Amino acid sequence: MKMLPKILFLVVVSSLAGGGRSAIAELSLLPDERLSEVSGQGGIYLSGDISINEMGGPVENSYFGRCSDAGKKCGARFAYRLKETGGWMVLDEIRGNFAFEGLTLRVRNIDSGFGGDGELFNRDVLELGLPNTVRFNDVRFKIASSSTARPTDPGFQQTDIFSVEMRGEVIMEGNLLVFPTGNP
Amino acid sequence: MLRSITGKHIWCRLLALVAVLSHSIARAELEGLTESEMSEVDGAGIGLVLENFKFSHGTDQPDINGQQARIFRISGIKSTDGRDVDITVNHLYIAGANSNYGETLTPVNLGRLLNPWRIDVVDGNTIGIDDKAVLEFAAPAMMSAAEGYDCMGGSATAGSGTCSSRPATSSYIGERADIGMQMNVAVGADRSANINIHAKSAVVDGSYLRLWGDDGRRQMVGQFKLNFFSPELSINACSQDGSACGSRIVMSDFALQLAIGNELQPVFLDVDGTGNFVVDVAAIPKPAPGSIGGDGLRGSSDSETWDFYEAYYTNPEYRSNLSIGNFSVGNRDFGSARVQGMLIQHLNITTKDLAP
Repeated sequence: MKMLPKILFLVVVSSLAGGGRSAIAELSLLPDERLSEVSGQGGIYLSGDISINEMGGPVENSYFGRCSDAGKKCGARFAYRLKETGGWMVLDEIRGNFAFEGLTLRVRNIDSGFGGDGELFNRDVLELGLPNTVRFNDVRFKIASSSTARPTDPGFQQTDIFSVEMRGEVIMEGNLLVFPTGNP
Repeated sequence: MLRSITGKHIWCRLLALVAVLSHSIARAELEGLTESEMSEVDGAGIGLVLENFKFSHGTDQPDINGQQARIFRISGIKSTDGRDVDITVNHLYIAGANSNYGETLTPVNLGRLLNPWRIDVVDGNTIGIDDKAVLEFAAPAMMSAAEGYDCMGGSATAGSGTCSSRPATSSYIGERADIGMQMNVAVGADRSANINIHAKSAVVDGSYLRLWGDDGRRQMVGQFKLNFFSPELSINACSQDGSACGSRIVMSDFALQLAIGNELQPVFLDVDGTGNFVVDVAAIPKPAPGSIGGDGLRGSSDSETWDFYEAYYTNPEYRSNLSIGNFSVGNRDFGSARVQGMLIQHLNITTKDLAP
């Protein structure tokens, strides 16, 4: 049984013999205590390009359709109710495209900085690095209140409260730090 | 070989034991919780801090082809005569202190590691909402006067006030943001001048939104508290091209403590049958006839009822305050203004659709 690691080592070395001396040096065995000290460079780097109903949603009926059809609504709709038998709050006609590059996610230990708070805090946090700029391409949505969940339901009435339209590069710099708080 | 077989036997037995044990543990765990037990659930909340944060967006002037690189517009509102109202936001920013009305944007920290922004489920019994689990979104909490900081930013030393967020110093960016917005409003084809609103070194410590469900009305209810302190809140109007500006209205040492809804009179949120949004703060129930004496004193009244109303009318937490250190327009000072102890006894707001 004790022979196994040595045999394995030999096989690896011979297979890499043509690869040069540095490869052999890299493959030396790490004792357990050294291995326990290894800490990987944890973290995620994300770039994204997200489109919501840019051409239109999957539903096509008397109300929803393609964005090219002027008589139809093509944005997504999200309705929620605040009372058992009440009407619906609606986030309506959600559409557009936004893109970002360099959203990072990692675990970070904070034990200094923050005007002296870091030293007292001395814990790990989840750090979400904001991507400096987010590119909005005709992002729109509308806040409304409605009598029924779907516009195709009987008795549908809706009051649009306001709508928002955004385009261009939005500056969003900094890190969002997330950590548990309170005493469970 | 013999040793390894016995070893395997022990392993199998252990596995079986674990299986039996975990089975009984799982059964014990699945007991139902009563409503009152449920209401005592108080998990650890989520703390949020924004480090070196800067936000900026706006609307650019159109180029020679009529294209705009950036647009930030709020529309969909109609005037009473049916014309479209369009609010174009030229610039909206959240940045560090000393931004010179949004000209030089620097980063700022929002929330403190030791006193962060929080999203939490709170035991209602600890905040006066009996037997409910309450969802709370809260800004950094206020501190005791011994360890807090002056809310107006006059001093960056501990023990100068009750705010938790610290003002910027030469060595630290602080936790108080400069917030500002420049916008113009168009009604139909008439476009107004640019309106600028800037708040310097703003603090919202002690603000919160609490949401829970009401059994009787089967509805979402809430409680909203907004604290807003700024050493200088200013408003002025400039021409579209920014060449000429009117006098600046400056409110120095601006403090707003707004309380909408409380434990006894929460805010009810609803949409009615015609699709209009309804915000409702119910009136406090009237005392039963005869429970309060003719002279209104405790001696001649039912003591429990009297104490209830005494507590309701004297609780400073239920009241809203607004104070302005100095109000000035251009170079004219109008002195200080103060509205204190406003109690919302009944409120009902319903939106109305003006579209024909």
